Amino acid sequence: MNYAGARLAPEPSLERKRAAQGSIDLPFAALTLLLLTIGVVMVLSASYARAYYSASTGHNAAYYFLRQLGFAIAGTAAMFVMSRIPMSFYRRMSFPLLAVSLVLLAVVPFIGAAQGDARRWIDLGFTTFQPSEIAKLAVILYFAALICKYKSDMATFRYGILPFALVLGLIVGLLVLEPHFSAAIIIIAIGGVMLFLGGVKLRWFIGVGVTALAGLAVIITFFPYASGRISTWLDPFANTSGDGYQIVQSLYSIGSGGLFGLGLGQGRQTYMYLPEEHNDFIFAVVCEELGFAGAVAILLLFAALIVRGYILAMHMRDRYSFLVTAGITTLLAIQVILNVAVVTNLVPCTGISLPFFSYGGTALMIQLAEMGIVLSASRDIPAWRS
Amino acid sequence: MAMSPKGRERSGAPNRMMLRRTLFLLSVCGAAAFVVLAARLYYLQIVRHDELEARAIAQQVRETTVSAPRGTIYDRKGEVLAVSAGVDTIYLSPAEIELYGEDAGAIAAGLSEILGLDYESVYEKTQNTGSWYEVVARKVEADTAEAVRQFKQAGGYNGIKLEADTKRYYPNGSLAAHVIGFVGTDNTGLGGIEAKYDKALSGTNGFIMRSTTAAGTDMLYTSWEDYFDAVPGEDVELTIDSGIQYYVEKHLAQAVEDYDIQNGAAAICMEVDTGAILAMASLGNFDLNDYQTISDEAMAEIDATAMSDEERSEMIAAAQQLQWRNKAISDTYEPGSTFKIITLAMALEEGVVDLDSTFYCGGSVSVPGRNTPVRCWKSGGHGSQTLTQAVQHSCNVAFVNIGLRVGAERFYDYAEAFGFFDRGSDSSVQLTGTTGIDLGGESGSIWWSEDVFSNPDNLSQLAAASFGQTFNITPIQLITAVSACVNGGYLMQPYLVESVTGLDGQVQEHESEPVRQVISEETSAKARAILEQVVGDPNEGTGRNAYVAGYRIGGKTGTSTKTTQEIAGTKEYIVSFLGVAPADDPQIALLVLLDNPSSESGIYVSGGQMAAPVVGKMLADILPYMGIEPEYSDTELMAMDRAAPDVTGLSLDEARAKLSDSSLSWRVVGSGNTVTSQLPAANSVIASGSEVLLYADASPSGGGSVPNLTGMTYAEARQALSQLGMFVSSDSSVTDASGQLVSGQSVNAGTAAPAGTVVTVTLYDNDEDLLGIY
Repeated sequence: MNYAGARLAPEPSLERKRAAQGSIDLPFAALTLLLLTIGVVMVLSASYARAYYSASTGHNAAYYFLRQLGFAIAGTAAMFVMSRIPMSFYRRMSFPLLAVSLVLLAVVPFIGAAQGDARRWIDLGFTTFQPSEIAKLAVILYFAALICKYKSDMATFRYGILPFALVLGLIVGLLVLEPHFSAAIIIIAIGGVMLFLGGVKLRWFIGVGVTALAGLAVIITFFPYASGRISTWLDPFANTSGDGYQIVQSLYSIGSGGLFGLGLGQGRQTYMYLPEEHNDFIFAVVCEELGFAGAVAILLLFAALIVRGYILAMHMRDRYSFLVTAGITTLLAIQVILNVAVVTNLVPCTGISLPFFSYGGTALMIQLAEMGIVLSASRDIPAWRS
Repeated sequence: MAMSPKGRERSGAPNRMMLRRTLFLLSVCGAAAFVVLAARLYYLQIVRHDELEARAIAQQVRETTVSAPRGTIYDRKGEVLAVSAGVDTIYLSPAEIELYGEDAGAIAAGLSEILGLDYESVYEKTQNTGSWYEVVARKVEADTAEAVRQFKQAGGYNGIKLEADTKRYYPNGSLAAHVIGFVGTDNTGLGGIEAKYDKALSGTNGFIMRSTTAAGTDMLYTSWEDYFDAVPGEDVELTIDSGIQYYVEKHLAQAVEDYDIQNGAAAICMEVDTGAILAMASLGNFDLNDYQTISDEAMAEIDATAMSDEERSEMIAAAQQLQWRNKAISDTYEPGSTFKIITLAMALEEGVVDLDSTFYCGGSVSVPGRNTPVRCWKSGGHGSQTLTQAVQHSCNVAFVNIGLRVGAERFYDYAEAFGFFDRGSDSSVQLTGTTGIDLGGESGSIWWSEDVFSNPDNLSQLAAASFGQTFNITPIQLITAVSACVNGGYLMQPYLVESVTGLDGQVQEHESEPVRQVISEETSAKARAILEQVVGDPNEGTGRNAYVAGYRIGGKTGTSTKTTQEIAGTKEYIVSFLGVAPADDPQIALLVLLDNPSSESGIYVSGGQMAAPVVGKMLADILPYMGIEPEYSDTELMAMDRAAPDVTGLSLDEARAKLSDSSLSWRVVGSGNTVTSQLPAANSVIASGSEVLLYADASPSGGGSVPNLTGMTYAEARQALSQLGMFVSSDSSVTDASGQLVSGQSVNAGTAAPAGTVVTVTLYDNDEDLLGIY
């Protein structure tokens, strides 16, 4: 495709005018809404048994579905509202958002709702939300702003590495306090990608990558918790009722699907065999009910959305819009890829939700808001040429 | 990419390096990673589909067993001996009680009331909310289960569950307990036919395969079920005749009481032509419906002696094992003189003796290889005897001589042919054998090795074996061999199952094939004739106490010393009698063993004095039951008990005439001319010559304490009771009212009884020449 011509720069004033008048990218919006719709339906299919048999839902089979549907509608509205706000607003808001995230992350170990040993959630009464979700967006927006500010100085350590490393270190430190390692990993990854896109020299990535691998090796060797995860990952069937239970149940679900699956709503593993069936492991239900064909179709939709996101990014005429769009797209890609990799036991088990599918109101709304930002940026692109 | 980087740098647009790096991300995150994920899905969903799906289904499917109805056990006449009925196990699902918010208190109250259980214990179970299966009551019968079902429906309680099961019922309680056997709570046969034919009786359990949630409940919409029908068990028809079994057990139990038997008793009734077991009993007995409960006496003894709970439960377990032991096939013993039938048969068959052979008994006989001579039970000796007399007298000296004439090798061959052991290739080892009856727990015999038995320098084993000592066999082996002696010579396989009927009506019948012919028809006929003389000859027969008026009975006594006890310094006996009837054309053989009678019962401890009367009483019931009509001689008719005629309302003259016709005397009380009432009541069976009380305008009075009749003659007993206005009758044949003695009475001495009471006694002949260990 030939996008070079799209970047023929018009006069700045004319550009702003077009931005205001330009329309959102329909394929990106359509793919988002399609995945969201399928995701909400899958929440019903995955959760009705759990909801029915659970006293806390009042035995209402549609409990989780209806809540998720509400958030999806609200999130869609938010997405369109966000898509009408110009990118300059987000650029201005990037530091305040980061500041708010840091405050929330700082308080969540104290006021957060406890889940096991961890405090990751803030209870708002009608729903709960994870500050780490906001932090992810804040990192993208703030890093993009910084990168735009430092421009060619990004190749230096002082500007290209140090400020970013400080922010990332602060956030990751707070996440470790919760503790919330999967969010920390994602934030490090997305931060790294932003720097990668921002022009940091590749040798830094090689250096950090080698250091990270060495650190990982140390952690795996000396922390029994981590090495247990690794051995469960390598042989989940060694302890199917203990540590391996969750991943084994996931593999049962996926394997049961076969080519065309058991049919929507016909899954059997959803009857309390598969843990987290409407949260982190919802993709296993997709595999069981829709089969290989359905699962690959959904992966193709995700891939199409991601590719579309990158293409949009590459058409951006504004560096900030470019960085934010590519960052949000990469965040989406990392979450999808890691989630499916976990569910299929390609990587050790960790808690990562599947965008648009996993049950969770605030996470869904934030994801849709992120899509809204991308759509806002997409208005900036002149009409496609045939 | 026509624009130069510089141009875009100015405009704030992403530079070329950024686009390159974005393109890299696109290819990794938008394409390559997804190819990897898709490949992984292909591997899991297509390549490993079958394996993973099978594992998933294995955990999703619960198997519920549907008990196959156990087959019914019938006796040979179709009477039900053991039958299974549907019952329910009632359990709670406390998790569902919680899930549906059901009232645990109301459930516990309702169930505890219906099932007669403690409220607290049921309520406790409802609180175990992590559980889906808490059994409240097992094997609950139909009406109670129905009440539970209605309670469940009325309250709409999901937490109450019923599960079908079966329970075994034995309508006759203890009857033929050792033959029938019993089943455990899991419906598996644990003894007797129930265990031996467990496979046929139990059928094949069915299954319900049901997909369930991880919590074990039904899936909402996607449930599926698959049924594998249970195949009901096959019905088994036994050779046992409940009627005969009842008579055998009744008289055996009476004997255990009368003679104070210390170590149990056994009896077998066999159809001689087929080997079919018509009755098999072993006492002490137990109720099949409650097979773990031991007798009150045994329990009392344990309570008295047990020092600790542990010891107590050990003793209870031992008592259970003892009561479940089928002595008729599990105990081995030295048969003693009953074995002389076998020696007689082989000697006749070999022609070494004949009916005109004579034997001299001087009280003892010396045997090559023995330091001391073999003594006859009669120390003075029997003098000169014919073969028949030698058997009648049960003369040990004569039988040693008969055995020596047969010779060790031939004796050994016959013993094997009669089924007492199976010979191997090694002639130096002790031998054993069983009949192979279709019942568990049969013990093997113990016989001398051929080398020891056939040692020409030492014939003491042969000599002792000739009158049934120094080897051990089971009762079932003996009666099987004796049946061959009297049935024409054919050794039959003893058996208990006549047929097995499958669900499709297909019947597998037992076919009685002789194992072999051991002796000829002629020899068998001679043996029968001699055995009849043992019982039928009132002067010389040592088995005369087994005589039944009107019937031709053959038989042989036996009194075995327990060698092991003798070595230990105490004397214990097993007294026995083996009867055959009718003697001219035998249909049944009947063996009774009484293990260790008390020496203080007042009855001489011997087979002739103790076991023979028991066999006689059994045959007196069994033969008419089998439809074999008695043929009485005139003297027998005279001596027999008779029914008192109905004379009430008649004039005294008419009454006297009627009583006279019945060989009964009378005594008139009162001054009237018409009999206003009589004692005993009309149709009461009383001894011949009894004095009937005729009341003419007077009321019956009298009665008193029943005297001890034991040791009196029948006539004396009649006299003693008459003085109290009471009467006597006998359950054994009356052959000599002034000679036969009373050995037991139906109303215990010292019991207060009204006038007109009829006391039934057991009679036996106690002549001087009958007293001996033979």
